Amino acid sequence: MNNIKIKSKNLNVYYGNKQALFDVNLDLNEKEVTALIGPSGCGKSTFIRCINRMNDVIDICKVTGNIEMDGMNINDKDLDVVSLRERVGMVFQKPNPFPKSIYDNISYGPKIHGKGETKSELDQIVENSLKKSALWEEVKDRLDEPGTSLSGGQQQRLCIARAISVNPEVILMDEPCSALDPIATAKIEELIDELKKTYTIVIVTHSMAQAVRVSQKTGFFHLGKLIEVGKTEKIFKNPDNKMTQDYITGRFG
Amino acid sequence: MSNEHTVKSYEEELQFLKDSLIKMGSLTESQLSDAMDAVIKVDKDSIDKIIKSDEEINKFRSKIDTQIMNLLVKRAPMAIDLRETISSLKISQDLERIGDLSKSNAKKVKPLPLDLPDELLGNLKRLGELVMKQLTEVLDSYVNKNFDKAKEVWEKDEQVDDLTYIAMESVIDFLSKDKKNLDFSTHLIFATKNLERAGDHITNIAETVCYLVKGEYLKGSRPKGKVIQE
Repeated sequence: MNNIKIKSKNLNVYYGNKQALFDVNLDLNEKEVTALIGPSGCGKSTFIRCINRMNDVIDICKVTGNIEMDGMNINDKDLDVVSLRERVGMVFQKPNPFPKSIYDNISYGPKIHGKGETKSELDQIVENSLKKSALWEEVKDRLDEPGTSLSGGQQQRLCIARAISVNPEVILMDEPCSALDPIATAKIEELIDELKKTYTIVIVTHSMAQAVRVSQKTGFFHLGKLIEVGKTEKIFKNPDNKMTQDYITGRFG
Repeated sequence: MSNEHTVKSYEEELQFLKDSLIKMGSLTESQLSDAMDAVIKVDKDSIDKIIKSDEEINKFRSKIDTQIMNLLVKRAPMAIDLRETISSLKISQDLERIGDLSKSNAKKVKPLPLDLPDELLGNLKRLGELVMKQLTEVLDSYVNKNFDKAKEVWEKDEQVDDLTYIAMESVIDFLSKDKKNLDFSTHLIFATKNLERAGDHITNIAETVCYLVKGEYLKGSRPKGKVIQE
């Protein structure tokens, strides 16, 4: 069993008067993929947004309880959120490259975080990030073309390259394949398999099959509560909780 | 929360698979019972009917295979549905083998003399009745998803082993009295062995039912009777 990278204890999230998460206790293991599943609005995205304090951008959002990364309190008011987000990267449902060149998409993060001071250092970061995201071979001869000129699947890998360019420890993926075709999805899944050797990954997905394929641990959320968490194989072959079983077998009302 | 699938046709497909397996089980039961009767009564007239009914069982097996393939491709079943699908595949294989063994027994009736002594057939009859009961009970455990009942069948295979041993002994005794009995005694030995093997397939089904219900395989090795140990 790998070390625990992220630990949440009695984590509650409120959007105004509406409570979105209820006492969530969930540990994410280092260099492992954790899949979060559950019906829309169940709190899985809210949970991952607590890991990089993305909920800060919502004024009415209030977070109580504890969430730690390597023992560091993520909710600490004095925490430098920019440096937290350097350590915790995020990839969204729809690919969202900057309206800039492929090269600039990757080099932007390292630049603002003060990494890669010389052009050759930046070149190296861009090349490494694109190689790690399995995109290098496809774009190496057109790095100055706009990121938006790439196909959907390529754009998503560009976003993954952008996330890893600042050398994070954790990558959050919020339904990263839902806008992609099966081939592009397969490429991302293969990439996740490779990336987990270096990074701790959390993926929110509506595809059960994808959760089985990519993750080692799965958590099932329902109405803001973490109903069951366990080894992925156990969850999909023989879950303990009836609600989990009803959800994954398609018996949910 | 409802126990039915949101997708109705998925629910129907799973139910159809279960129904097919139950029908196949019931055919296999009749065939095993008919083959046993044919041996005990040396009823040569029923041989063809029994051989023919094996074709029906085989057809069910192919039909179930197709249903399973379709379910896997269309629905990618998970959890209990996955276990139900995979268990159906395994159980149908075991039922088909039991069917083959019954057919084989029916074929053994042909060379048997009509005046076989009761003491020779008595033990074989008891063995056949026990195997029959085991099959009925294991199929009940499948229908009712009854773990304890399936485990009971699994444990009781020890008795099948013991009775096989006794039935074999009586055939060998009979054979040793007169070497002229060699030809048909060999058939009876094979028929006895076939019943014991049918018992083993029934134990496989019992193991599958236990896995289906609890999602875990039975731990430890099955109690073995005399015939296996010696």
